Order: sequence, then structure tokens, then C-alpha cells
Amino acid sequence: MVQVLESLESRLRNWTQPVVRWARRKSPWILHFNSGGCNGCDIEILDTLTPRYDVERLGILKEACPRHADVLVVTGPVTRQTRDRLRRIYEQMAEPKWVVAVGSCSCSGGIFAGGHNVVGGVGEVLPVDLYIPGCPCRPEAIIDGIAKLLGKI
Amino acid sequence: MVILFRLLVFPGFLFLFFSAMLFDWVDRRVIARFQERVGPPWYQPFADFVKLLAKEDVLSTGAHATAASLLPVAALVAVLTAALYVPVGGIAVASFEGDLILVLFLLSVPAISYFLVGWISVGVYSVIGGNRSLLQYFSYEVPFLMALAAPAALSGTWSIARIVAYQGQTSWGLLMQPLGFILAMIGLVGKLKRDPLDIPKAKSEVIAGPLTEFSGRKLALWHLAMEMQTVVGIFLLVNLFVGDSRFFGWLPQLPVFGLKALALLVLLSMAAVLYARLRIDQLADLGWKILAPLALLQFVATLWIIGL
Repeated sequence: MVQVLESLESRLRNWTQPVVRWARRKSPWILHFNSGGCNGCDIEILDTLTPRYDVERLGILKEACPRHADVLVVTGPVTRQTRDRLRRIYEQMAEPKWVVAVGSCSCSGGIFAGGHNVVGGVGEVLPVDLYIPGCPCRPEAIIDGIAKLLGKI
Repeated sequence: MVILFRLLVFPGFLFLFFSAMLFDWVDRRVIARFQERVGPPWYQPFADFVKLLAKEDVLSTGAHATAASLLPVAALVAVLTAALYVPVGGIAVASFEGDLILVLFLLSVPAISYFLVGWISVGVYSVIGGNRSLLQYFSYEVPFLMALAAPAALSGTWSIARIVAYQGQTSWGLLMQPLGFILAMIGLVGKLKRDPLDIPKAKSEVIAGPLTEFSGRKLALWHLAMEMQTVVGIFLLVNLFVGDSRFFGWLPQLPVFGLKALALLVLLSMAAVLYARLRIDQLADLGWKILAPLALLQFVATLWIIGL
């Protein structure tokens, strides 16, 4: 009985997998976190979310709460003070989840790399799926990056 | 067979599910057009729903697991049961004398479970959001109920189908009670927690209100319950205030009903775009100092007209 149920479940999972993957690709909800940057990239991210660029076309919504979000968008170098908080926010998110590093600082630490209070890029703390360099990066670059991430999903 | 078809397909579960998805999309699209955007494609609500269903189901430490899984189901069941008694283009699954009262009672069950789910999920934002939702409930519910009791008093029956039939003999409830219609629309905005009365889930103040701590299946069920509540609420107002379709006598009833419902939905979307969110104390002021006296006025005027 249990075996029958299990085989049924796995068959159902195989059958629903393409649908689920499609849904994930079409509906990435993002959470924005500034881990100690200069606000330049934050402004660009807010720009990306304005009606001019209209990312709701791609199903992208900005969520305010880690539990609802699929993609964690991090700007700025990770400082010693925000490292634990960044990690905790990542752990609060529900699987499956992706991390995008936006801007030179979050990619590598940028001009702050090697500072006494800076850990480095986001890659030092979390598994990053996508790096979008730029100082700050343009909204077009961010949208292009998100589209590439969606292709990866 | 017929009753099973009505329960599960039309106007039961499947019809409501697809209407909920359609209404959600139309709403987002209309808002996007008002902001000079393109807006999401038609499959967006389906993608969101499936994605949430397939996501990990996280429960915060200290939350009551049984209650957390039962409450969204309770909300959904209440909305679906209410939908059984609301006619869609003249077709209802069930109806009896007094079903309007039952529908109104069932439609307030989601509000209670919304508060409770904030209470049992131990987050700060959830508790604040839950308290706000109860305060909001006490502000909009009295004018809403009085505005919906006026058509019942005018037609002398508590059965939704008979109120529609009465409008067929006279005229639209909207024309006979314009004030009541406006009050009912405002009450509906409060009931559905849409902009500008989305005080319990205001993003910049309480993150996502009572639903802050939820993800995965539970969140998907909550979203579905809320969207279905939108559909049922709009269908109810269409029946009570623009129920008569004599003007469109040469058209089949169902598409006319759908067009009326979509028109009311566009009104709600316009309100969401035009007005900024109220504070909770402003809503209490509005509800008790303006809406409730106006609703009383409407009700007394209706009784006076009946007495003539």
C-alpha cells in the first residue's frame, strides 16, 4: 500500500514538475536588502520597480517579508555588522530561493574590499546565483540579469 | 448529477476558482493601465498560485501548527459555502428564505480567521495586523450590513433570488438606493482589505499583517480565499443592486451578469488607484461618524417609503 502510494506520488511529482518550474520562472517575488552600501544601487533597484520599467510584466513583485520572497536581492558590501542579519534573513526565506548580488560592492566588496569593517562580497556569506556588476548598475542591467536568472530556473 | 455539476463546476468551485483568477488579473491589469504600465500577463495569478503551492511551508517557532493549517481552510470553506447561495445570472446551487443573512454571516468568518491567524503566529507584525483587522471589522461591518439590509427591507424578503425578482418588477436597487450602493461598495472595500482600506496588511507599516509569517501552501490558500471573497462579494452586490437585466432582455443572462460584475471590479480598482491608505483611527472616524449615520438614514428612508 505504502509502495503504491509512494510510486503514485513520485509519478505525480514527475508530471507536475514542468508546471511548477514554469510557475517559478513566471513569478519571482523579490526581497531587497542593503547590507551596507552607499544607497546608489538601492536607488537603481527602486528605479527598476517604477512604472517606467514595469517589471510586473515579468511577474516580479517586491515583497516586504522574507517568508514570501523567492529572490533575495543584496546591494552593498557585507559589513561585519550586517553579516549575521543577512544570513538570518536568508535562512528565514522558504525553499526554493535564489540570491542576486547587485552592484560592484556586493559582487566583490568593491572599493570597500579589505576595509577593517568589511567582510567582502555577498559570496563570502551566501551562495550567490547571479552577479550583476556596475557602480551603480543601470535598471536595464538589473532587468537583463533577472531575465538570465529566470532562464536558469 | 445536476446538483454535483452545480457544486463542483458551475456556479460552484471551478467557476469560482477561474473567476477569482480572472478578477485578480483584471484588477492588476486595470491598476497597471492607470499607472501607464502594461501589467502582468493573463496567466500571472495561476503562476503565483502554483509557485506558492510548490514552495516550502515554513512555520515559525511557537506558532500553533494545527490552527495555522485549519484557519485558511476555514476561511476558504466559509467563502465557498457563501457562494452556494449567491445566484450567478439567476442560477444558484441552493436558496431559501433568509439566505442573505446566512451569506453575510459566512462572509465575516474569513475576517475572524484572519485575526486569529495573526494571533497564533507569534510575530509582532502579525499580532498588530490582526488587531487592526478586528478594529477595521468593527468600523465597516455595521454600515455594510445596514446598507445590505435596506434592499431586503424594500423588497420585503431576505432571499437574494427574490430581491432580484423584485428589482425585475420595479427597477435597479442602484437607482432606488444610490446612497446604500455607495455605502455597500465602501464596506466591501473594507471587507476585502483592498486599497485604500488595506490597513491590516499595509506593507510599509506591518509588512504583510497576519500573513507575515506564512509561506507555501498556507499563503496560497489565504490568497485564494481572499480572491474568492472578492468574487463572492462583488456577485452579491451585483445581485442586490443591479440584479435586474430587463434592459438587456435580448441578451443571455450570464454574460450580462459577468459584465456587471467586471464593472464593479473596475470601480474597486479605480478606488485603489485614486485614494491613499487611511490610518486606522481615520477609518474608525469614517465608519462611525459618517458611514453609519448615512446607512441609518438610508434605512429609515427605505422604511418610510415602504410605509407610504
